[in-house]
Amino acid sequence: MNEVSPILHVVGQDLARTDAVPKTTGTATYTVDISFPGMLHAKVLRSPHAHARITAIDASAARNMPGVHAVVTRDDLDGLNPTYGYFIKDQPIVAIDKVRYIGDTVAAVAAETELQAVAALERITVEYDLLPVVPTIDTAMAEGAPELFEEEPMGIVPAYGQGASGARRIGRNNCYRFSYETGAAEAFDTCDRIFEDRFVFSRDQHFHLEPFVTVARMDGDVIEIWTSSQNPFPLRKELARVFQYPENQIRVKVPYLGAGYGAKNNCKTEPIAILLARMSGRPVRYCMTTEENFLTQCQHAAILDVRTGVMADGTFVARSGRILLDAGAYSDASPLVAEKAGYRLPGPYKWQHLNIDCDCILTNTTPAGPYRGFGGTQASWASESQIDIIARALGRDPLDLRMQNVKDLGEAYVPGESGIDSDLRAGLQLVADRAGYGERSHGDGRGMGVSIGFKDAGGVNKPAQARVRITTTGGVYLECGTIEIGQGIHTSMSQIVAELLNTGLDRVVYPGLNTDYTPFDQGTNASSAVVVMAQAVQQATLEAKQKVLDFAARELDCSVDEIELDDWSIRKGNESHPLAPMVMRYYGGTGYEFTGAGFFKPEMDHAAPLETQCVSWEFGWGAAEVEVDRDTGLIHLRQLVVSGDAGRAINPLVCRGQDEGSAVMGLTGVLFPCMVYDGAMLMNGNGLDYRVPLATDIPDGFVSILQEQGHGPGPFGAKSLGEGCMLPVASAIANAVEDAIGVRIRELPLTPERVLAAIDRAAAGDTGA
Amino acid sequence: MSGEFVFVSCTVNGAAREFHVRPEEMLIDVLRDRLALTGTKLSCDLGACGACTVLLDGKPVSSCGTFAWQADGADVRTVEGLVAADGRLDPVQRAFVENSAFQCGFCTPGMIMLARALLDRDPAPDRPAIRAWMGANICRCTGYEMIIEAVEKAAELTAETGE
Repeated sequence: MNEVSPILHVVGQDLARTDAVPKTTGTATYTVDISFPGMLHAKVLRSPHAHARITAIDASAARNMPGVHAVVTRDDLDGLNPTYGYFIKDQPIVAIDKVRYIGDTVAAVAAETELQAVAALERITVEYDLLPVVPTIDTAMAEGAPELFEEEPMGIVPAYGQGASGARRIGRNNCYRFSYETGAAEAFDTCDRIFEDRFVFSRDQHFHLEPFVTVARMDGDVIEIWTSSQNPFPLRKELARVFQYPENQIRVKVPYLGAGYGAKNNCKTEPIAILLARMSGRPVRYCMTTEENFLTQCQHAAILDVRTGVMADGTFVARSGRILLDAGAYSDASPLVAEKAGYRLPGPYKWQHLNIDCDCILTNTTPAGPYRGFGGTQASWASESQIDIIARALGRDPLDLRMQNVKDLGEAYVPGESGIDSDLRAGLQLVADRAGYGERSHGDGRGMGVSIGFKDAGGVNKPAQARVRITTTGGVYLECGTIEIGQGIHTSMSQIVAELLNTGLDRVVYPGLNTDYTPFDQGTNASSAVVVMAQAVQQATLEAKQKVLDFAARELDCSVDEIELDDWSIRKGNESHPLAPMVMRYYGGTGYEFTGAGFFKPEMDHAAPLETQCVSWEFGWGAAEVEVDRDTGLIHLRQLVVSGDAGRAINPLVCRGQDEGSAVMGLTGVLFPCMVYDGAMLMNGNGLDYRVPLATDIPDGFVSILQEQGHGPGPFGAKSLGEGCMLPVASAIANAVEDAIGVRIRELPLTPERVLAAIDRAAAGDTGA
Repeated sequence: MSGEFVFVSCTVNGAAREFHVRPEEMLIDVLRDRLALTGTKLSCDLGACGACTVLLDGKPVSSCGTFAWQADGADVRTVEGLVAADGRLDPVQRAFVENSAFQCGFCTPGMIMLARALLDRDPAPDRPAIRAWMGANICRCTGYEMIIEAVEKAAELTAETGE
C-alpha cells in the first residue's frame, strides 16, 4: 500500500523540527502576539456565586466609563442562538437566567485598555437570588438536590452501533449516560471470585501556558478571528450556529498554539470576542488570565465502581462498571468523554461479558471537557488498579496475571471492533525488564508496579482531507487541517510528504490554518493525525507525484515505469532531467503547480459499537518503582519507565517528546494536589498555588522507550502516539505503593494524608475495600 | 497615576533604549508592546511559571513581575537578543533545535534564557545542577528530560566553539 524507497531517508530520521527556529528565536507567532491598530481589549465579569438566579443586571454605568466601546450582557443577545456545546447546547455566551459556578461568565466589556475594561466591569451591578449549591457528584445526585437545568437543554444523542447506547437526563443533574454491553450477564455466575472496588479520580487542569485567547474583527461582512483552537472547523460551524451566520462568512485562522492538551476545543474566548467586535466595529482581543483558564475548563473528576469476575486460575470472565464523571456546570464534551471512559473501562483484556454505564453529573464547578487521555485516564486508573488487587487476592504476580489475560495481537477488542495493533505482552515485558521488575526487592517501603494504559485512537468516524501542491521549482505545499499544537505534526507530516516525493524536508512548507483555504478537518484530537489525516496526506502526495511522473513521461516520450522522481529531477536510467525547465517548456515561463488531493475516512459499520471500527489502539506501558516513607506518607518515585508503540516512528525524537511529556502530565494527577475545592470554591486556581511537575520533581530513573512494532495503519506502519504514556502512570504508582507497604489506595491523588490513612487502616485490619 | 512617568534608560539586546514608563508598568509590557519583542511570553503573571524570563544584568528574572523602572541602568536580554547579527543562533538555541527540546514553544524563550543564565555562570554544570536550575520554569509539554539534555548539549557546544 505504501510506495516507498527500500531505504527511508526522511521518515524515521531525527530531523530538526520545521518549527524549531521560530520557536527558539522568539519569532513564532501565537494568537497572543496578534495585534491591530485600534484593537480593543475584552474583560469578563464572572459570577461570585456558585448557583444563583440573576434577577437584574444594570450595565449602564459601565457603558459610560472611559475607553469603553462595547458592553455585553444577556440583554445584548438578540438574534443569536446564545448557547453552545458539543451534543448538548447548554452553555450561554453570557449568563441568561442563572449562574451555575463561581467564575461563570456574566458580562463582558471591550475597552481601549485592559485596565479600563476591568474598571468598567466594576460598574456593572448584578442582583442574584441565591440557590442551593451542589459542588460534588454526591450532592448533585442526592434526593432533593436542585437541578442545574430545570428544563432540558437542546441536544442530541448520537447514533451508536452494536452494544452501545446513549441517554439524556435519566437522573438528577445527569446530563448524559453512555452504556456498553456485550455477552451474557450469566457469565458472572460462572466465576470463582468476584471483586468489587470503588476508585476515585481527582481532576487536573490542563495548565496550557498560552491562555485561551482570540482576536476578532469584522472584515466587511466577514467575521475574522485568530484563535488558539485545536478544532477550527467545528468551531466555525458552532459560531455559524450561534451567530446565525453563513459558515463561509466566518474566517478562522490559527497561528501557533501554546498547547491545549484537549482544552482548546470548541467555543472558549471566541463568541465574546466576536460579539464585542461586531458591537464596537473595532478589532477585539480577549485573552484570559491563568486564573480564568481554571474557571473555564478542566479534567473530569470521577467515581468508578468496578465489578470483575474471574476464575480461580486467574482467567478474566466478566466486568461491569458504573462510572460517574463530574461534568462541572455545563455538559461541554462530557458526553464524548463518557463514551470513551465507558468504552475503555474493560482495558485490553479477554472478557466474555461486559456491562458498563458512564454517567455525566452536572455540578456547580468549572465545566470539565476534553483532556488528554479523554476518559481513558480515569478508566485505566480503575481497571489497572483492580487487576493488581485481583492478582494479590489470587496469590498471583500482577505482571503474570496481565500476561495471561491480555488480548493477542490482531484480536478484536470487543465484538465488531478492529484488532489490537500492538503486541501487548512484548510492551509489558519491555518496561518490566527495564525497571528490573523480576529482580526487584519489595516490601520494607520499596516496591514496583506495572500497568498497561489503553485507549482507542484516531477518533470516531473522522473524515480527513489534504492537498499537496508542487510548484514549478519543486517547492511543496502541504495543506491540511491538523494544527501544530506542540506535538510536532507539521514536521512529521512534512517528513511523510518528503519521503514519498523523494526529496528533502526543507522543500516542504505546511501553511498555517485558514478555514478559507485549508481543506476541512474535524480537529486535532484523539491521536488521530498520523493514522487518519496522514492517510489523506499520503494519498494527496502520491496523486501529485503521479501527475508529475505522467507529465515527465510524456515529455520524455517514455513509459512511467522507466523514470523516477529524484528530488526535483527525473531520473531515467543514468540520465537526470531537471523538472523546472521541463515544466516551463510545456506550461510556459510563468510556471505551473501540480496538485494532488487525498481523502480518508473509516467505513461506517453498525457492527462496530461506535459505528466505525477503531482506526488504531494506543497503549502506554508503565513500570514504577517507589519508596514510601511510612512516617510522613511521602511517596518518592525512584523509577518511572514508560513505553509507547509508534508503529513506525516518523521522527523518533518527536515521538520521545510525546511519550515523556504525557507521562509527566500523568504524574500531576498522582503526586500533586490537583484542583482543590472548598465547597464550590476553587482554592488553588492560579499559577502560584497550582502545582504541576517541575524538572526537579522528575526522578533520575525516568525513562521512555520508544517501540516500533510496525503494525500501525498509518503511512509506513505509523500508529497513534502522544496520549498513551499518561494512562498507566497513576495505576503503576499505586500498584508500586501496595508492593512497597502492602496497602491499597483507591483514591487519587496519592497524597501523604491518604497514604498515612491507608497505613493506619491497614494496621487496624481494614483493607480499605 | 497618569502624568507620573518615570524615566528609564537601559540597553535591550545591546541597543540603548530610553522610555518614560508609568510606575506600575511591567518590564514585559515594555518589551512586548513598545519594542515588539514578542518572543517573551506572558503566562501565569505571578512570576511562577517562568515563560516571561529575561536576563536583567545577566540574572534571570520574571519580566511579568519586574517593574519597567527596575530596568533603569540595566542590561536587558531577551530571546531575540541571543541571535547573532549574522543570524547565527546561540549554542543554547542550537541545542534546543538539535535536541527537539520544545513542543508548543510557549515556555521555550523563557527556558532558553534560563539556560543561558546558567551557562554564563557555570559553563559545565552537571546534570543534577541543570535539573535544579531548570526547575525554576514550567514546561507542560516535554517532561523536561529533553530540555535537560539540551542544556548539557549547549554546554558541550559552548566548550567546543569557545562561544
